[in-house]
Amino acid sequence: MKYLKPKNIEEAIGFIKEYSEFYLFCGGTDLALKVKNSSIDCVIDISLLSELDFITKTDSMIKIGALSTISTILEDENISKYLPILKSASSEFASHQIRNIATIGGNIANDSPVADMIAPLLVLDASVTLIGFNGERTIALADLFDGFKSLTLENEIIASINISLKEHEYYYRKVGVRAKLNISKLSLAMIKSADGFCLSGASVNPYTMRFSNLEELLNRGKFSNDEILDALSKDISPSGSYRSTKEYRTQVMLNMIKEALRGFKSE
Amino acid sequence: MQIKCKINNKEYDFDAEPTQRALDIIRDFGITSIKEGCGEGECGACSIYFNGKLINSCLLLAPQMDGAEILTLDGLLQETQVIRDSFVKEGAVQCGFCTGGFVLRAYDYAKQGGSSEKEAIKDALDGNLCRCTGYQKIVDAIKKSMS
Repeated sequence: MKYLKPKNIEEAIGFIKEYSEFYLFCGGTDLALKVKNSSIDCVIDISLLSELDFITKTDSMIKIGALSTISTILEDENISKYLPILKSASSEFASHQIRNIATIGGNIANDSPVADMIAPLLVLDASVTLIGFNGERTIALADLFDGFKSLTLENEIIASINISLKEHEYYYRKVGVRAKLNISKLSLAMIKSADGFCLSGASVNPYTMRFSNLEELLNRGKFSNDEILDALSKDISPSGSYRSTKEYRTQVMLNMIKEALRGFKSE
Repeated sequence: MQIKCKINNKEYDFDAEPTQRALDIIRDFGITSIKEGCGEGECGACSIYFNGKLINSCLLLAPQMDGAEILTLDGLLQETQVIRDSFVKEGAVQCGFCTGGFVLRAYDYAKQGGSSEKEAIKDALDGNLCRCTGYQKIVDAIKKSMS
């Protein structure tokens, strides 16, 4: 197996150009177990790209470099103050030892339907900056996902995740069989701001997406229980798996949405 | 591929396959305080310091070790003396397989200024599993070592 460790972005892009099939690898908490038995014979380890390891704040925006570990996000004061939903999701992410090396870019790029960080980032309307052969482009995070384990990356590296700051309230809850080192049965991330409600959740769709029908309903201001259930059934398509059943996921999602609504300040 | 790194303040220069795990390489050097429990990053028995951060060595590949500074419990015996004594005194050890990982995490937690509240200690142990004696005595031992 070829294991390449580029020292900067240019070198990394060069390797991406040179090899058609490869794993982009950083902390390795998911990939280390996979690369061994994979038919893909090339690993590009981007952990030395220190230019992608940062969290910066301006008046209007927080940018999180893709190489930021979950521990770094958990401990960052600006995240805690302005984006507490990310702190909340980070605190329930795997374990201390894994948070110390797992990166936010990796959690996104691994593109698992159960990924912990994607739903909170989606409700924050995050964008991602990508770097490839043709330079840089920034797209909505939601546009990165295109189906089960299918990213719209075009031989690009995720460079940063960008979040515009605005006043908001949030709800985040992750449900699983245990409190720690928990792979979620489902989760709900929800934001309420002057722009209305934003909802998303993990483990209830083939890939993590916003709950657009629910958002439309809740933003209308008046809704019944049946209407919530109806919108929810359009927004989620949970499968039954060894981790949970379709019925459980639907019922608990409904309960969490109601819990979230009770918790938000009313106008 | 050729790997150079520091383990417990000693220089190592060795050849390894890219898919070899740090856990196996370090143990093959005779540093056996780290154990393979689950082999998939859940139990913490293989915990090591990797460039100053506690991580699971079963999920670390050989090439990631290149240029790194690694510390295991074997390299922190003095620093962990109080914690280890406390584990012995509280009987926080049964088979002992997980103990190295717990001691290292307890040291890590105290070093980061963690609270000595029981609930906070339990929270901090989210990456370490014990399958025989249970957690009560381990939490007690850590709490007492912090006072």
